[in-house]
Amino acid sequence: MQMSEPSPIVLVVDDEIQIRRFLRTGFELNGFVVHEAGTGAEAIRSATLRPIDLVIVDLGLPDMDGSEVVERIRSWSSVPIIVLSVRSTEAQKVHLLELGADDYVVKPFGMAELLARVRVSLRRQMRAASGEPTVKVGPLTIDLAVRSVMLNDKRLTLTPKEYRLLQVLAQHAGNVVTHQHLLKEVWGSIHVHDTHYLRIFVRKLRQKIEPHPDSPKILVTELGVGYRLAQSGAEAENGAEAPAKSES
Amino acid sequence: MLNALKFDRIRKELRGILLTLCMVAAVTAVVYLIIIETGLGHGSVVYLIPVVIAATRWGIVPAIIAAICGVLASAFFFYPPLYSFRIKDPHEVLNLMLFVFVAVVVSQLATRLKRQLEVSRQREIDLRDLYAFSRRLAVAFDVSDIHAAIEDHLATVMQRNVALFAGVRDASASSGRRAGVMVPEQVLAEVVQAASGRHVANSGVTVPADSGDVWLVRAVSPKSSEFGVIVINLGHASQESSDEMRIRVDAVLADATATLERLGVAHAIGEARMRSQTDQLREALIGSVSHELRTPLASILGAATVLSAAPALANEKKLKALVHDVRDEAERLNNDIQNLLDASRISSDGLKPHMEWADPTDIVNSAIERCRQRMSDRRVALNLPADLPLIHVDPVLVQQALVQIFDNAVKYSPSGSQITVAARARDGRMILSVSDQGAGMTAAEQIKIWDRFARGERLASTTSGSGLGLWIANAFIAANGGAINAVSEGPGLGTAMTIELPVTHAAVTQIESDADE
Repeated sequence: MQMSEPSPIVLVVDDEIQIRRFLRTGFELNGFVVHEAGTGAEAIRSATLRPIDLVIVDLGLPDMDGSEVVERIRSWSSVPIIVLSVRSTEAQKVHLLELGADDYVVKPFGMAELLARVRVSLRRQMRAASGEPTVKVGPLTIDLAVRSVMLNDKRLTLTPKEYRLLQVLAQHAGNVVTHQHLLKEVWGSIHVHDTHYLRIFVRKLRQKIEPHPDSPKILVTELGVGYRLAQSGAEAENGAEAPAKSES
Repeated sequence: MLNALKFDRIRKELRGILLTLCMVAAVTAVVYLIIIETGLGHGSVVYLIPVVIAATRWGIVPAIIAAICGVLASAFFFYPPLYSFRIKDPHEVLNLMLFVFVAVVVSQLATRLKRQLEVSRQREIDLRDLYAFSRRLAVAFDVSDIHAAIEDHLATVMQRNVALFAGVRDASASSGRRAGVMVPEQVLAEVVQAASGRHVANSGVTVPADSGDVWLVRAVSPKSSEFGVIVINLGHASQESSDEMRIRVDAVLADATATLERLGVAHAIGEARMRSQTDQLREALIGSVSHELRTPLASILGAATVLSAAPALANEKKLKALVHDVRDEAERLNNDIQNLLDASRISSDGLKPHMEWADPTDIVNSAIERCRQRMSDRRVALNLPADLPLIHVDPVLVQQALVQIFDNAVKYSPSGSQITVAARARDGRMILSVSDQGAGMTAAEQIKIWDRFARGERLASTTSGSGLGLWIANAFIAANGGAINAVSEGPGLGTAMTIELPVTHAAVTQIESDADE
């Protein structure tokens, strides 16, 4: 972390003390301040009492479902929430994202993976707060204010729908956006189940923005859930510090 | 309904009587003609013909009526004074009385003969059904086959609606509709009683339903509860006909259970049930053990990644290597546990694919992404045409199958070799292929690899794994309506695995979505 900025505060909600312990160590080593909560009720209390920059919630809590924690916190706060989920539960992931979670990490996960997601979410929150209009993803720069898309400083021509798709993704740059959300934003709510529209448009968009459309690195797929603009955690920090990149 | 039944029987009876009268009239006419033509004496004995026919066909009442009509006709037409019922000669009176006596005896004999014939014919049908039943039992595959056989057998023999309940749980879980038979609730309640062994009477109980039908509920066999409880709709039967029916049910069930016992079916059912319980137990155990193992693994793996990036270890090469070992081994363990979980998911509740339109390119890329670390020292060559059709599949299942195939390719090929991933559409199928330059397979191995817990024995000492991978991949692809094939030119010549998935042409809605604002 840059010394000029205050340390971000992260609230870790998990009933397993071993998980909390390694998360605390991992975050503290990377310059975060950590609060812990072992139950959902404790988490909600903690989130109301103290200023918090980010919440990490495990889905299996002893007193309530993790999704309830997400829903309750989201009812008054826009703090970024990252959910710890298990594999093979795509429908549940979609549900959590619709409830307002910003992203998810599948258990078991490496610290680097989680840190990357955390940085992306913090960066997004900061950009939203500061009104920063440009989003950079690798060679791609999207200026949301003037509606321009530049690839390696060359201006791209996109159709209105293609731009709208990229715009929604850029607004959540780095975070996953569900199929339903994209379809609703671009085609309207009657088309939320027409995933094939999305597939065809994403393919066309990739032809324009990806250096290698057959192995996309910018507009990446989260199978069964949605898409994300692959802003790496290091990039989100403007290359300030990248000690543990792509470990897992 | 009851009246209709009675009416039906009366109508049958009347029809018999009417036909009898016709026969008597015909005989009278013939005899009359003969007497006029030839002048022969009178022929009351001839009236025995309609009597015997009526007795064998319609029973004793029409036979007696035939006899009486015969006497009256003889008196009227043949005995002087003619065309009057009076008879002059006392000899003739004696003759007629004798005729009546013979007619009654003959008709009684004929009726009895008729009943015996019917019984033996029924017996023959029953025996034939019983034979068909035992033949079906002989090829029965599992408990439900046997129950279905019992049910069908009773339905055939009784010509009634029959339903069989395997046990208390079966009866209480059932919504009342069985094998196309609506079983009323009162009857179901009685079935639960019977299945839990609370019936004292072996011959079962009758339950009147709201619809007016009477149902018989009884255990198939009084000796063994394995055969379940049978319910039979006796229809709108009166007390005596329902008793008759119950006697018949007893006889049929006695035959059926004797057959079942002779074949040792009870024992077989018990054994099969025990086996399936053991299976269930094993699956439950695998499921819970894997879950219990996964939670601490998440801590181990997470902690190891924190340690490996810790500044304190930055200059400790040896310690760092140890931490990497912990992380890698934990990851491997996690994969094995995931495989066990997948396997138990496949065999316990079956897979429920979540179908959606997916781009094959996305599936392949995300599978490669998942295996990035494992494939880091292999050259991965991609061959994905830009115009691949969309496929309607569960993309996550297909991706997981691909991951298993990649895993296999890495496991059985040397470091530095190439793995080629290609996709193409052909003849309405999407074909994804993964070719390695590895150990290949013998012809025998190509057959065996799809088995559960199959491992390449040639290389078992140098590779690790549970042998579940390809079995899981196969199940995942099958759940998507596809198929997996493995081809190898031989040992040492590499392996090509292909996944074939159906391409539905509803995906060609391109024109519609092309309409861009």
